Amino acid sequence: MPRFVVTLVVAALTVVLGGELATVGGQATSGEYRIGVLEPITGPLAFEGKRHMEGLEIVRDLINERGGVMGKKLVFSVADATDPTVAASEANRLITREGVKIITGTFSSRLCGAASEVAARHDVIYWESSCVDPRFNKRGLKHVYRTEIDATGFGWYNIEFIAKHLAPRLNLKPNQIKIAFLSEDSSYGQGVTESARQRAKAEFGMQEVMLEYYNWQTLNDMTPTILKMKQLNPDVVHHISFSNDGVLFWRQSKEQNFLFKALVHAGATGYGGSDFGKALGNDANGVFALLEPGPGFRLEALRPEGQQIEKAFRDAVQKKTGTYPFGAHQLAGSGLWLLKLVLDRAQSDDPEKFRAAVMSLDLPVGSMINGWGVKFSELGQNANDRVQHYMLQWQNGQLVTVWPEEFTTLRAKWIPLGAWDQRK
Amino acid sequence: MDPARRLGPAQIDVLAQLAVATVLLGGIYALISVGLTLIFGIMRVVNFAHGEFLMLGMYLAFWAFVVFTADPYFVVFVAIPLFFVVGLVVYGLVMRGVIHASHNVQIFTTVGLSTVLQNVALVAWSGDFRFVRPWHLSTVLRAGSTIFNLTQVVASLIAVALTLALVAFMKWTHAGRVMRATAQDREAATLMGIDTDRVYRLTFAIGIAAVGAAGVLVAPLYSVYPTAGLQFVLLSYVVVVLGGLGDMLGAMIGSLIVAAVEVAGSYFFGVAWKEIFYFILFILVLVFRPAGLFGQRGAETLGV
Amino acid sequence: MSGLLRARRGAVVVFGLAALTPLVVRDAYFLDSLVLILLWGALSAAWNVAGGYAGQVSIGHASFFGIGAYSAALMVTRFGRGPWLGLLVGVVLSIGAGLIIGVLSNRLKGPYFALSTIAFSQVLLIGVSRWRGFTAGAEGIPVPFRSGFATLGLGHTGWVYMALSVALVCYAVEVYLERSRVGYQLAGVREDEDAAEALGIHTRKLKVGAVALSAALTSICGSLWAQYVGFVDPTYVFSVDLSVRFALNAIIGGMGTALGPFLGSILITSLETYLRATFSNWDARFAGIYLVIYGTALILVVRFVPEGLAGIAARIRMRKAHA
Repeated sequence: MPRFVVTLVVAALTVVLGGELATVGGQATSGEYRIGVLEPITGPLAFEGKRHMEGLEIVRDLINERGGVMGKKLVFSVADATDPTVAASEANRLITREGVKIITGTFSSRLCGAASEVAARHDVIYWESSCVDPRFNKRGLKHVYRTEIDATGFGWYNIEFIAKHLAPRLNLKPNQIKIAFLSEDSSYGQGVTESARQRAKAEFGMQEVMLEYYNWQTLNDMTPTILKMKQLNPDVVHHISFSNDGVLFWRQSKEQNFLFKALVHAGATGYGGSDFGKALGNDANGVFALLEPGPGFRLEALRPEGQQIEKAFRDAVQKKTGTYPFGAHQLAGSGLWLLKLVLDRAQSDDPEKFRAAVMSLDLPVGSMINGWGVKFSELGQNANDRVQHYMLQWQNGQLVTVWPEEFTTLRAKWIPLGAWDQRK
Repeated sequence: MDPARRLGPAQIDVLAQLAVATVLLGGIYALISVGLTLIFGIMRVVNFAHGEFLMLGMYLAFWAFVVFTADPYFVVFVAIPLFFVVGLVVYGLVMRGVIHASHNVQIFTTVGLSTVLQNVALVAWSGDFRFVRPWHLSTVLRAGSTIFNLTQVVASLIAVALTLALVAFMKWTHAGRVMRATAQDREAATLMGIDTDRVYRLTFAIGIAAVGAAGVLVAPLYSVYPTAGLQFVLLSYVVVVLGGLGDMLGAMIGSLIVAAVEVAGSYFFGVAWKEIFYFILFILVLVFRPAGLFGQRGAETLGV
Repeated sequence: MSGLLRARRGAVVVFGLAALTPLVVRDAYFLDSLVLILLWGALSAAWNVAGGYAGQVSIGHASFFGIGAYSAALMVTRFGRGPWLGLLVGVVLSIGAGLIIGVLSNRLKGPYFALSTIAFSQVLLIGVSRWRGFTAGAEGIPVPFRSGFATLGLGHTGWVYMALSVALVCYAVEVYLERSRVGYQLAGVREDEDAAEALGIHTRKLKVGAVALSAALTSICGSLWAQYVGFVDPTYVFSVDLSVRFALNAIIGGMGTALGPFLGSILITSLETYLRATFSNWDARFAGIYLVIYGTALILVVRFVPEGLAGIAARIRMRKAHA
């Protein structure tokens, strides 16, 4: 027994330690600068993780074509984060084995929460591009930054659009609008929905007629929910969807001839993903999704440096994937580009110098990819009004930019939506 | 007041449509569970990879649709023999060695199989959500004020046909009788000269053929991705247990009950709670009527 | 005492090495892996109390893990008390839940029992996700890190000893079940319930007790995990994946043996960690391969070494004794 146990323990130690020996000095290689990338590349979030990786790799190549960061070629150490335990463990690996001083990622709020905690304990910079949990940078962790707006930002923009753009075109005052909230129950869905509810009620006095959450993975039929909504007769449906649930809701609403005036979503999943258009073709017409910019986006509306990088990014994505950039590409990509801007300024990954560089950045809207600007708060949050978001609409198989109108050549149509067979 | 709770003449239409939704959803659940009724219900082999075979069926429908623009209704005829062979191969490679082992060993073997299949699909076809959109998906039939989705109607009808075919198979063919004999008393069957290994192999293959076909048929209704089958596993077990182990018609009714609980729960309490209702129902049935709502047959072999 | 040590040489080696490692190794990733090995090992040992010794194979032990994790996290964030109090509350709640599951186990066998435990954990998952006002719902709870023993804010070395302590507690419970009268009675219940009943053993009470004890230990580990990782969300802590993991280590290591769950955890955790790191760094598109290997390994072990690693060791020892 003891010999067997010793063999097993030694074998395990060798395996784990072996990794260390193999990668010692990874960061020291001259001419390269290594950062850690933490994304869910297996498991149920793999499809989004994959697009984030695409966006990151494309922007990494753009950065390297432009001289890299701090005069070095930017390279990645990638780690797979599928759940909080693994995210924390892999963050540990990136820091101690790969020797990274900066970690970026991570798509999901359950992952960024655990991983950033580890980074903070090692004095490593955590550069978040996509998780939206509002509490992420309010936990008193140092060196935690987020380039994207948080869930409250999404809710803010959606209600802004409904109150300022939809309401007048529907000839309704905001407080006359009957709004139904429907959402998948992940942390993203709950976060956005709750902040939208709050603003809708507190600031505009909209009438909430329904609130329903569901688990997108076990949702097999939307008919009962649609029948209920039909009787509640909302003007606007605020629906955060994740994948098939958006398709299911839309297809079955058509089957049941459920008529409402507009549907608004936020984010790159569900209605905001290319799959929705692929699944429904022209039947998708009319759905709104708050996102990064899509076709119709006016490059001229940006500042010169913003125009340049936005165009290069768009072309590179087109070349690699054959499509206009998806939200996931844009989130991860712009986050990485912003990291380069900071590193160029700081010329160091020392947390204090890095922080000083982040705080000193003050770029107006239109300065970089997605037409974003930069102004970080003391908490490390990029400002809502700099991280410009856009309302896109499905129009004949494409998700195009329709709002704010100064940024786009295209206009929102089908307001109100009208009969199902009239949306052409 | 919540109009969902107000009863009046206008509600009759809604109730009729809810009933239709129940029947159609129940049809889908029945279709997915048919194979499990055979494998678990009759042969008592635990298969936690049931959902992954469903997922493979969905991918078959997807690729056939993309590459050959083949309609799932045509593909299903290819799927049945194809998945029969898949079932034979998986049985030979994985299940045969554990077929006489305890249920626990079978549970964890098939958990491993499920992990493997999910990730093979992930590596081979990526985690993207895929969609199959045949013409009949957007076709609806109307009867009075109620609405039927054609794809769902066909899926339900095929579920009924498959169930009846299996009932007939078990009752009137030699192979079916041998299966029942083996399920009832394995040792006696061996003594009677029955090659039980062959029986198990055949049962497993037929069960996989059924779930593969189900995957093809439901592919248009849901999105196709590597973990698409996961949520149907537990649900299928609920259906099979509610119906009474090995009772094919009982499983059919079990599907309708699960669907009814789900539809009514979603409508009256909110879709968030729908699973809680059928899981609680499941636990209650297990505790108070372990042989299923109607059945009593066969429960003894699980020692209940 | 020395006799006991000699009889438990395997355990002395495993836990001894774990205790010595932090004195030599400073590498955070290595220590983190060690904490996880010990914690998953302790959880599997806790599972083993019900699954291995009492023969009640559950795939719903994440229920108790989740109860423990939420009790600790909520005690800190909602009530402003220390996690230790949360740990205690978790134990009480888990014993309650364990009694329910234990009563189920008196009516259900084999796959039926396993399925009912999954259903139980799913009910908790949905309940916690929906009760947003109290549990923060699906958004989960970030657990603040406050340095100190009372707040369980420890460094990596501290965590190794914390995980080692809980591992030793679980191991001690297992040893007790192997050696004591209760243990022999449990073995009787597991092997032949009717015969045990005929011998005057209170089989029902024993099974319920074993499940409740197993639940309490699982809950303790859950509370510690919450403080260690610092983020509790329902979809993870109540997941079937997690329940399977607890059972898996014990099965691979050897069900119903005291050291088995730890051997299983050493093998599985380090294999998983190693494969994940290797494949995701190689090419993100092929990251899934590590799970394919992992799953295949599981099938092979269950098929060819059903008695687990501890069983192999015993076999080798037997052969030596005969030689």
